Amino acid sequence: MKSKLMNFLKKIIVLTILMSPNIVNADFFEDISNKIADNPKRLSYGISVADIDQNEKYEFIVTGFGYPNLALSYDNGKLINVTSQKIFSDEFRKTIGVAACDVDRDGYEEIYFLNTDTYSGTKKYSDRLIDLEGNKFLDMFEIEKNKKELNLTAGRSVACVDRKGNGEYGIYVSNYGGPTRFYEIENNKIKDKSADLNLDKVTGGRAVVSGHILTDRSDIFAANERGANFLLKNNNGFFEDVAFDYRVDDVIQNGRGTTLSDILYRGRLDIISGNWQGYHRAYVLRDNKFKDIGNIKFDKPSRIRTIISADFDNDGYDEVFMNNIAEPNKLFRIKENGIFEEIMLETGLEPDGFGTGAAVADIDGDGILELLVSRGESKEQSLTLYKAKVKKDSKYLRIKPLNKYGAPARGATVTLITDQRKHSKTIDAGSGYLCQMEPVAHYGIRKNEKNFKLEVKWTNGKKELINISELNKTITIKQK
Amino acid sequence: MKKISNIFVFIIIILLNFNSFAEEKNYHKELITDWSRIFPDQNRNAAGPKFFKYIIDKKITYKDFIEFNKLYCAVSGSLIDPDSEPDFLFVNESDTNTKICGNYYKCCIPCSCDIMKYSKVQKMKYEFDDGIKEFFVFTIKNPCNKNDFPKRVNKDYFCDGKKINDKQVYNLNDRIVIGLLHDGRSCNKDEIDYVKSHQVTGRYCELRNNTPLENLDAGMGDIFIKLAR
Repeated sequence: MKSKLMNFLKKIIVLTILMSPNIVNADFFEDISNKIADNPKRLSYGISVADIDQNEKYEFIVTGFGYPNLALSYDNGKLINVTSQKIFSDEFRKTIGVAACDVDRDGYEEIYFLNTDTYSGTKKYSDRLIDLEGNKFLDMFEIEKNKKELNLTAGRSVACVDRKGNGEYGIYVSNYGGPTRFYEIENNKIKDKSADLNLDKVTGGRAVVSGHILTDRSDIFAANERGANFLLKNNNGFFEDVAFDYRVDDVIQNGRGTTLSDILYRGRLDIISGNWQGYHRAYVLRDNKFKDIGNIKFDKPSRIRTIISADFDNDGYDEVFMNNIAEPNKLFRIKENGIFEEIMLETGLEPDGFGTGAAVADIDGDGILELLVSRGESKEQSLTLYKAKVKKDSKYLRIKPLNKYGAPARGATVTLITDQRKHSKTIDAGSGYLCQMEPVAHYGIRKNEKNFKLEVKWTNGKKELINISELNKTITIKQK
Repeated sequence: MKKISNIFVFIIIILLNFNSFAEEKNYHKELITDWSRIFPDQNRNAAGPKFFKYIIDKKITYKDFIEFNKLYCAVSGSLIDPDSEPDFLFVNESDTNTKICGNYYKCCIPCSCDIMKYSKVQKMKYEFDDGIKEFFVFTIKNPCNKNDFPKRVNKDYFCDGKKINDKQVYNLNDRIVIGLLHDGRSCNKDEIDYVKSHQVTGRYCELRNNTPLENLDAGMGDIFIKLAR
């Protein structure tokens, strides 16, 4: 009788575990904020990841609102600010958005700092486009011939767009209460091409991503506030807003953090878009329309800022990190068939954190992503740094595509093809909210996964297939 | 015996976990997603009828129909938060002038007064996915002949010339359906007393409904009233 009862109880326990809802309880992150050498309380906003000093290592570029912009480099186990040049740190201009890309085709990624000293409309201080000359930074907007193109409208996010697919990056500036700007270098001068390209719309611009969303060229998705989102289809370098047709206009919600993610592991990029105190979207393209497949836990309204899709724990499945301001952060794992499984955070929850931006990079080069969270806005707070607790036998693969100028091919798509998945990642052109991730496709490897191949789709739409014979390394692929 | 116990355990666990698996339909999210389809020109002033038509044209069950109709204001055309509480009120039936009581989901208090004064209810029968159902709807008379059709309302939504635009709004016996009266039934005396003595549907509405139109500055102001009177 006793053994029968035990059997009965065992069955109940096993079945309950098997059928428990999509929630995982285990401390996912480790707090490694102590690795940030000098980490005072401050008002920080957007973060980008780029190699600012051409030493083949990426830095976290952290913007400051009335505080210096930082370039945090990993050295001797610590993240250390490696620049104090005034034109870069620029603490008086109140920087919030940042993105880096090679606009002048010299292989070095210029850094666009979006400054904003007012909420909406005309602002006092213009943005900066930082280039490196020798070992000195200069602001390209301060050169006389470029001064008439200054952006004097309040804005939020910026993203890099190789609209012609030839490595000539332009910068989409998501302005607020004034026309969107699109800067390119033309005849050695900075030129706002937004009107020529059908991009000079006035809205409450918030976030912007660019990549292979609809076409074989760089398309743009812009999440807006008090107005419809834009889905800008690239027609031979010119843009057509198809947000309404593709059902991503979301006109009465207020867009915030946005990212591109292969939600169904099917070898294409879809869109994740967070809405301020509104339903968060997991848009998947089906029959020429995006369908929102986010479940009730995922779409729950929150005070969302940045959203990041990345494989933090190297298990081969992407996580989605939702950075909320003055509200706990959230983390989901994207399982097969677009199921979002919530991972209950303890470390990294930051219930009192005023999150304003976040970015990922394998900054210490150990094959595991670090997550840097910036905080501020209404309360000075220090930066926080996290790393997932990864299984010892986990494996990874990191792909770093460089374009024909030797610059990171932001906007290119890398697809890992194995016996278990066809998994695309964008080389981040600008994403989250005010932010930009490292220009590397980072893959954790699944259990028993084999037959690794890689496809790189460059910004001109051409594809290159590469066989992978070795894991646990960063592979640099140069465009021919 | 063992087999029966296995089946029993399995059924219990399924039932216990059912809620975890069943993805509840999010009616509010669906209306938000489709908002630009419902209002292509983004003008939702007094456009409750557009919501009603959009909802009833869907292939849905009666339960879905009820839930969707809790989420917009028949007077203003605003979306309503999913957790909003309705006002209990009565409206005269169009043909009989009988007082019909029920619940009205509103965006703001003045809308309850406006709907009581300027709309009528009618019984409507409709075939849903799960069968034919009967319910009460709020209606207003055909506004398309008005010389003072309110400028802030998109006339094309309501009218095709001097006729009701059947493609955009639901036409019930040459009246426009603007929304659903939830749990509608003939009022009893206690219910009428309750509505008349209630601080909103009684006292406040008496004040509002006796205020000259040009002095109204709450709710939709005069937009809905001009459309419906």
